[in-house]
Amino acid sequence: MHWNRTATVALPLVICGVMACAEPQIPPKSLVDAREEFVRAKDGLAGQLDPTDVHEADLALQRAEAAWQHSPDDPSTGDLVLIADRKALLAESQAAAMKAEQDAQAARGQADAARVAQLQSAKGQLNQTQQALGVTQLQLQDQQNASAVQQQKLQGLEEKLKDARDTIAKIASVKDDERGMVITLQGEVLFKTAKWDLKPGAMAKLDQIAEALQGKERPIVVYGYTDNVGTRDNNMDLSQKRADSVRSYLVSKGIPQDLVTSQGKGPDAPLAENTSVEGRAQNRRVEIVVQPKR
Amino acid sequence: MTTKTTTTWLIAPAVAALDVGCGSSALPPPNDQWAAAEADVGRAQASGAPAVPDAMLHLQLAQEDLQKARPFIGKDDTRANTLTTLARAEAQLAFSLAKQAAAQDQARTAQGDLRDSAAK
Repeated sequence: MHWNRTATVALPLVICGVMACAEPQIPPKSLVDAREEFVRAKDGLAGQLDPTDVHEADLALQRAEAAWQHSPDDPSTGDLVLIADRKALLAESQAAAMKAEQDAQAARGQADAARVAQLQSAKGQLNQTQQALGVTQLQLQDQQNASAVQQQKLQGLEEKLKDARDTIAKIASVKDDERGMVITLQGEVLFKTAKWDLKPGAMAKLDQIAEALQGKERPIVVYGYTDNVGTRDNNMDLSQKRADSVRSYLVSKGIPQDLVTSQGKGPDAPLAENTSVEGRAQNRRVEIVVQPKR
Repeated sequence: MTTKTTTTWLIAPAVAALDVGCGSSALPPPNDQWAAAEADVGRAQASGAPAVPDAMLHLQLAQEDLQKARPFIGKDDTRANTLTTLARAEAQLAFSLAKQAAAQDQARTAQGDLRDSAAK
């Protein structure tokens, strides 16, 4: 009976004790956090990039779990749980740093490649510019050469013209006015009175003038003039025919036809008064005007 | 013989873990650990951890853990050891967080440079 009473009291206590021991312990929040942190590290970037630190975190968590199983209330258990948590965080941080370094390296590589491409493009443009510059320099050189040749030719022509002028000055009056070089031949030297056929002596002079003007490539105008004796119409007609005769002769001696024109001026533009014999003789004349080069 | 040795290796950590749980002074004073923890703290400070908020927090925790460990040395060396180990973990994490922040800064700069060069 005594046993029964004792048993009656003790049995529920024993059962409660057994139940209490069998009941799973609720882990502290710090341990739950450490476990979650470890899973995050293992399944995340750290698992791929930093397995060594993940392994360290695993070992630390195992130590913390063991300590909690055996001595949940020991202060060191809390420390070990924190160590496990920090090891998991360390693995994640190390992996994040590695990833950032990889990203930076990739970006630098791409930036370097872009710079190389830009540099090559700039070099290509520079080459093109240099080639274009070379072509332009050649063209400029050609132009300078052509200009020098032209200058020499012009200088040669000027010298020839001067020689021609000296030659002509021996047989006719030569002067310069706004029209160009003016060669004046007296009418008596070239024609008989009221005629427009050239005298033989005139032809000899015109031969020398034609020879001197050969190759000068200057426009030439032959003007015929008379004195004021007779009607104006007759004088205009006579002066035109005389100018035409001289023109035709010069053309026949090789002066290009398209370079020579003729014009009768009659009694206009006299050189002297028509009141004296000398004055009228001066006014009867033919002028060969060699114009400046067009 | 091999089996026996393996068994010994497996049991030893378990016994050590039990010792930690019991709070005995089975471990020697943490002189080497202490020196290593101080070195870790110094390395974290030199790496720029004080300028990175997260890193600064863990650096302070490391220093506090070392202060907490000091009274236990010679009295409860096991606790002193775990606190010193915790201080090392905090300091190493502070160092890593500072390094991570610097690397991420450099990555952002490099990516910005890349965008700029692409925009030219």
